[in-house]
Amino acid sequence: MRAGGPLARGAAGAGLALGLPAALLALWWVASAGSTNIFLPPLRVIVEAFGRVWLSGTFADDVVPSLWRLGASYGAALVVGVVAGYAIGRWPVARALTSPLLAYFRVLPAPVMIPVLLVAVGIGDATKLIVIGLGALWPILLNTADGVRAVDEVQLETAAAFRLPVWTRHRLTLRAATPQIFAGARQALGISIIVMVVSEMLMSTDGLGFTVTQFQRSFAIPEMWSGVLLIGALGFALAKLFELVERRALRWHRGHTGREEPS
Amino acid sequence: MTAELLRIEKLGKSYRSRERQVDALTGIDLAVREGEFVSVVGPSGCGKTTLLKIVAGLVPATAGEVVLGGRRVTEPPADLAVVFQEYGRSLFAWKTVRQNVELPLRHHVGRAERRALVADALDAVGLGAAAGAYPWQLSGGMQQRVAIARAIAYRPKLLLMDEPFSAVDAQTRGDLEDLLAQLWHRYAMTVLFVTHDIDEAVYLSQRVVVLGTGTTGVQAQIPIDLPAERDQLGTRSSAHFGELRAQVYARVRRTPRPSTPELLERVAP
Repeated sequence: MRAGGPLARGAAGAGLALGLPAALLALWWVASAGSTNIFLPPLRVIVEAFGRVWLSGTFADDVVPSLWRLGASYGAALVVGVVAGYAIGRWPVARALTSPLLAYFRVLPAPVMIPVLLVAVGIGDATKLIVIGLGALWPILLNTADGVRAVDEVQLETAAAFRLPVWTRHRLTLRAATPQIFAGARQALGISIIVMVVSEMLMSTDGLGFTVTQFQRSFAIPEMWSGVLLIGALGFALAKLFELVERRALRWHRGHTGREEPS
Repeated sequence: MTAELLRIEKLGKSYRSRERQVDALTGIDLAVREGEFVSVVGPSGCGKTTLLKIVAGLVPATAGEVVLGGRRVTEPPADLAVVFQEYGRSLFAWKTVRQNVELPLRHHVGRAERRALVADALDAVGLGAAAGAYPWQLSGGMQQRVAIARAIAYRPKLLLMDEPFSAVDAQTRGDLEDLLAQLWHRYAMTVLFVTHDIDEAVYLSQRVVVLGTGTTGVQAQIPIDLPAERDQLGTRSSAHFGELRAQVYARVRRTPRPSTPELLERVAP
C-alpha cells in the first residue's frame, strides 16, 4: 500500500475541511474575549449558555418538536412529490394539465402561506406541518418530473421488448430517475429547515425558532446566540446525513457517468 | 428447407407532419426461415432501425404486417430479444451483470432454472467471472457481451440486433462477430442483424438484404454461400468473399439516397 492510503487521505481531507472553521472559531473566541458589547458577548459566554440551555430540558421541549415537524413534513413531501412528479413526468396529459399551476406555485414562497393558514387552520401544529411540507414539495416534485421525463428511451424500449410487467417498468423508470430525485430532495431539505425556523418564529409556543425569538425578546443574548449555533449545527448534521445516504444510493450513477474509479 | 419464422408483407411506415408526409419505409417484403442468419444493410437513413423496431413490436407500422411464428405482431412478441447499439444505455447501471441478465427471466422462469440460464449465458459470452460487477466497471465490448448474454438467456426464437458492434473498436468488433457466429450455431437461433457495414454483413450472414431508401423497398437479396465455418483472416481474404462484398456494395450504391430535408424530417418524426 502506498503511503497515502485511504485512511491517511481521509484524515487529510477531514483536516482540510475542518481547518478553516476551527481557525474562525478560534479567531472569534480571541477577538470576542474582552467584549463588553451586550449584543456581541464573548464566545466563552455563549458556549456556557449553550451547555446551560440545550443540554437541559429545553432539548426535549424545543428541539424534539422541531425535529418532529421537520421529519413529518419532509417525509410527507417526499412521498407526495415523488408520486405526483412521477405521474407528471410520465404522462403528457398530466403534464399539460398541471404545468400552469406548477409554474405558479413553484415561485410562491412557502412562508406567505403562514398568514393564510393561520386564519384558515389555526395556530396548531397542522399549520406548521403544511407550510414546511409546501416548501419542500415543489423541488422534489419538479425534479422528479424532470428525471422521469429524461429517462433514456433505449432503456424503456429494452424493458418493453423483454415484456417486463408494467409494475417492473414503473420501478425501473423511477430508479433511473433517482439522481434527479435526490437533487430535488437535497434542495428541499435546506428549504424545509428554513421554513421550519420561520414558521416557529411567527406562530409557535415551542421549537427552535420560537426559543431563539424568545431569548431575543427577553434580552438573553448569549442564549439567543447559542440557539443560532445549534440551528446551524443541526442543518449541517442533516446535510451530512443526507449526503451519506445519497452516496450509497447513487454509487452506480457516479460510476456510470465516470465520476468514480472502476474498482 | 426449414419452416418460415418471420414474414414481413408490404410493410410501410410514414410520419405525418402538418405540411407533408414522409415515408420512412414502403412496400417491404421479407421472409426469414427458422435458424437463418439474415443481415439488413442499406444507406444511412434507409429505415433499417425503423424496420427492426416494427418487427420488435416497439413501433406500430402504418401499412402492411409483420407475422412472427404465425402471429401478427402488434406488441413486443414473446420469443424475441433485442440487442441495441447503445449497450451503455440499454443496460441498467444500478444492477449487476447477473441482475441485468436475470431481469427478463424473473417473471417467466422459476428460480432454479433462471439461475442455470443466467450462468450458462454468462459462460457462453465469457463473462462468468464478471457476474457480480456493474456494467460501468466493464469495457464497452464487455458491456455489449452482457447485453448479448441477456438476450440469449431469454432463449428467443428470433434475435434482433441493431448495429450492435458499431460502437466498439475494430479488434473487439472482430471478437464479438466471432462470438455471435458461435452463439448462433450453439443456440440454433434465428438472427436478424441490422448493420451499415457491408463486410460485417457478408462475414456473418447466410443472406444479405439490401434496403432502399424511403419508397423503394427491398433492393436485393443476396445469398451468401460461404462455408459455414468462417474465420476473420481466411474468410475475409478469400476471393469469393470479395466477389460477394462487391455484389452487395454495387446494390447499395445503386440505391437512390434520401435528400437532406427528407433525412432531417426523419430525425424528428
